[in-house]
Amino acid sequence: MTREAIAAKLDQAIAELRAGTLQESTLAAIRDELAAGRTRQDLLYLQAAGTDLNAEVIGMRVFLDGELSDGPDDPDDWPYQTVLEAIRDGWRIIDFPNLALLLDESRTYAYGAEFVLEKIRSA
Amino acid sequence: MDTTHIQPTLTDSEVLDFCKNGYLLLDGVVPDEINRRAVEFLDNDTYFEPTAILAEDWFMEHVILNPAAAGAIRCLLGAGFTTPVLMSNHRVHMPREAQHWHRDGQSRYGPSLHYLQVFYYPEACTPEMGPTEVIPGSHYLFQHASFMGHYGGMRHSVKTAASAGSIFLTVYSIWHRRSASTATGVRNLLKYNYWRTAPPARDWIVDPDFDFQLADYTFPITTPRQQFQECLDAAEMFFWLCGKADDYRTMGGQGWPLPGNRNAPSAGFPGDPTAVTY
Repeated sequence: MTREAIAAKLDQAIAELRAGTLQESTLAAIRDELAAGRTRQDLLYLQAAGTDLNAEVIGMRVFLDGELSDGPDDPDDWPYQTVLEAIRDGWRIIDFPNLALLLDESRTYAYGAEFVLEKIRSA
Repeated sequence: MDTTHIQPTLTDSEVLDFCKNGYLLLDGVVPDEINRRAVEFLDNDTYFEPTAILAEDWFMEHVILNPAAAGAIRCLLGAGFTTPVLMSNHRVHMPREAQHWHRDGQSRYGPSLHYLQVFYYPEACTPEMGPTEVIPGSHYLFQHASFMGHYGGMRHSVKTAASAGSIFLTVYSIWHRRSASTATGVRNLLKYNYWRTAPPARDWIVDPDFDFQLADYTFPITTPRQQFQECLDAAEMFFWLCGKADDYRTMGGQGWPLPGNRNAPSAGFPGDPTAVTY
């Protein structure tokens, strides 16, 4: 269950509480879903032209709902043109660019400044 | 096989472009009849290394020593280059998902060019047939192939979609992959190497107006590397190919070979008084 889904169910429970209709079973259902913890991770790899969150994304791959994708063929159609756009859409950075790969000016290693982001979804 | 009779076909600027991009696509240079024979051969020899095709005179004459391809190879590897002794076929049953990005094993990085990796499409390869995708300029970019598995769409990649009979030359270390295909059927792509046997020399088609100091070493694509690094690498490889590796040096700052709208030649060019260190 995503944070947004939990918040929505709790909002509904609060509304029912105020209306005097809240049932114990409603709260128990939320508790059970949280306890079950059946969540899955979505991953988004974004290679950016620099470490600035607003730098242009020059490479991407996404693992979304169990499926890997390189994104649309045309980079202009990629879901995010900057890392900042991805964050605004709810992605959370779990790994910042490894600057050790970027320290040798004459021999660049890897492809750009790589951010790894995640979302958690209910199973 | 003697290749000393092969005539160079590239100019200074074209050689420099190869240094920048790391590949050169020669579209539709092999005659249709030869392409048909090659496909027929590969339909009968489906082994992933159909090296026996190198024993076919028609293949050697029109593909391996194809005038456009061999002429370009002559420019990049010098006179007397060796012809391939191994043939690989990336024979793909479509549709197929994209391959991981990689550079081939035993890649080395630097200005020298001792061999070329060459590809030949005996049939047309449309974008739907999963042509090889390359990242221009990535031949200078180090990464372990085994650490590229998470790379996907690349903004500046180029698909080598081409007509039947196309040949493309690459620096061995260029990043590439088979792109995803949505068509059906079989796609052949032959891959083979040529090797240098002579020291590098500027013995291609020399343009008398080509000026090493004023030449445009700029790489047109924004890459993730440090600003102007592509200029430096391309200039160094070009100097190496000219047999002037020992002359190559840069002074830094705004000096050669960086681009700019100057009112005089850039400072720091090798041999210029501004290139002396104190």
